[in-house]
Amino acid sequence: MASLPKRIIKETERLVSDPVPGITAIPHEENLRYFQVTVEGPEQSPYENGVFNLELFLPDDYPMEAPKVRFLTKIYHPNIDRLGRICLDVLKNNWSPALQIRTVLLSVQALLASPNPNDPLANDVAEEWLQNEDNAIAKAREWTNMYASKQ
Amino acid sequence: MLLEFEKVYPVFSWSWDIPGDENAVKENGDEDLCGICRVSYNGTCPSCKYPGDDCPLVIGECNHNFHVHCIQQWLDTPTAKGLCPMCRQPFSLKRNVAINEFQMGRLAKVLINSQPATLNDDQDMMMEPEFVVR
Repeated sequence: MASLPKRIIKETERLVSDPVPGITAIPHEENLRYFQVTVEGPEQSPYENGVFNLELFLPDDYPMEAPKVRFLTKIYHPNIDRLGRICLDVLKNNWSPALQIRTVLLSVQALLASPNPNDPLANDVAEEWLQNEDNAIAKAREWTNMYASKQ
Repeated sequence: MLLEFEKVYPVFSWSWDIPGDENAVKENGDEDLCGICRVSYNGTCPSCKYPGDDCPLVIGECNHNFHVHCIQQWLDTPTAKGLCPMCRQPFSLKRNVAINEFQMGRLAKVLINSQPATLNDDQDMMMEPEFVVR
């Protein structure tokens, strides 16, 4: 394996020594570019009390290219599809090398606090969100209890 | 007491001459790190071995500084859209700064190449002369 850029080593060290509240990111032993991530659902969101598993991968071109992030835990959210793919600007067009693993994961957590059904990835979920928001939120809560409850 | 010097070993130190640096607001209270690779200004980008003239620093019009190799690599990507990674303003080199002089030609090429990609309807401001490569 090619040697790991200093920036990735520094970021990893800081994720351990000064973790972001409600977020963990642990590199895989055999591939230090692959992280197992957990994100706690934000308080007062339908995802409250949930712990969501994600995977994060730093491509060879990182930080010129954004990390690849995907939900592994099932989640009912208009901007996250059934494969766990996330519709988030900083992961695509609005990536900047000034961003880091921690800021990206904070953005993911913020997306849980403010779902945006007007820019949907999961069309059926977004439709439900727009037509019957109370129902959608109840379903998101239900899925959180079913799939993301703290064990 | 009488001292006799047998040998003298001079030690030199250097750093990039960044005008106005004394007053600059340090990002996040960090030491002076390249916002892209997060190595010291006076160190090298990840591809270089020797700091200094082999791996120069450039100063942006927006007062964000980067190793020239780092910012060049970023501006070469389609995602960059010619923007500074820190403040997302169109990136250009600050004028009349000594350490930028040698990099003008190199970066100008990147900036010219990256401009057309930004010419969307909502980005007409990019066409204004002041955004054209200096």
